Amino acid sequence: MLKIIDSAVPVACWSCAVANNESVLFCPHCSKIQPPPGGDYFSVFGLTPRLDLDLSELEHEFHRLSRKLHPDRFARAGENEKQWSLADTALLNDAYRTLKDPIHRTEYLLKLHGAAIGEEHSGKDRKDPSRVPADLLEEVFELNMQLEEMRMARKTGEEDAALQGSLEQARSKFVGLLDDVDEDLRGQWKIWDAGDAGARATAQKTMVALLDRRRYLSNLVRDVTETLGA
Amino acid sequence: MAYSDKVVDHYNNPRNVGTLDKGSQEVGTGLVGAPECGDVMRLQIRVNPETQVIEEAKFKTFGCGSAIASSSLATEWIKGRTVEDALAIKNTDIVKELSLPPVKIHCSVLAEDAIRAAIGDWKKKNGVAEAAPAATTAQ
Repeated sequence: MLKIIDSAVPVACWSCAVANNESVLFCPHCSKIQPPPGGDYFSVFGLTPRLDLDLSELEHEFHRLSRKLHPDRFARAGENEKQWSLADTALLNDAYRTLKDPIHRTEYLLKLHGAAIGEEHSGKDRKDPSRVPADLLEEVFELNMQLEEMRMARKTGEEDAALQGSLEQARSKFVGLLDDVDEDLRGQWKIWDAGDAGARATAQKTMVALLDRRRYLSNLVRDVTETLGA
Repeated sequence: MAYSDKVVDHYNNPRNVGTLDKGSQEVGTGLVGAPECGDVMRLQIRVNPETQVIEEAKFKTFGCGSAIASSSLATEWIKGRTVEDALAIKNTDIVKELSLPPVKIHCSVLAEDAIRAAIGDWKKKNGVAEAAPAATTAQ
């Protein structure tokens, strides 16, 4: 379960004892490595949590911190520092993997703000009909049926050119729909990043629905591509 | 992840896979999806108009092994039951029977939703009054 540790609570550096409010891998005062901090992934990079993220800045910080955490640099350090360099590196890698991917980043930040996403939501929430787009379900189901038909035909050695053509059409259509969803998500990012609590809540709801829709679409595109590419 | 033997059995030998005539007055169709994973499930029932007994049940599921096993088991369980009896099946019964792990509980929820949606569709077709909160996902 994700949680935001209150970063306003100062943590004292184990080495120089100077307290700092930021969640950091290295003490800003004496530069010594710190045990893995309890803040969110953004704070690992010294970033303010936001959805529309400058990826070049993220990447730059990732490489800089990776170099600073390299085990070779701690070859002669104390046992604690050695362990922390490994633990911090693992945290840094997890944080980077999550934040550089636009979908993972969105899911992560919305979860931090209490959104029910993915495996975690159940109960009354899923009964909200807006979460299950009926027209999309019909289409997804139909296309899956066609995919199966095509796989069967392949097995028996009967290629069906018409079916292949219609699947290729369907693929471009669904890739297009996926692009639309991503475009909408990026629009919502800006609203969320700039918004007050009310605007954020609305944007969050919209994004949760978009992410649901996206899961169906990306499964489908994956399966069509797999079948057509075989 | 390790599936239980019962899941593997239903996955390898799914019961009642297929399609019933959607247009028939006696057939109810439920199409539901799990936004958690993008799985889709269609469950259909053919109900005897005299006895209200579900005489035939068919499903088609595109999804993981647990989703297939849950829907396969659901069709087995509802066959021979009356419509009202079938509504008594809870997703927790499916979880127990198939020993589903927590991350796969939504598969059983999907199967329960599919039963309710199919029955809801049949009721709508046949002008049977809806029993309060059931079948919210019926289309």
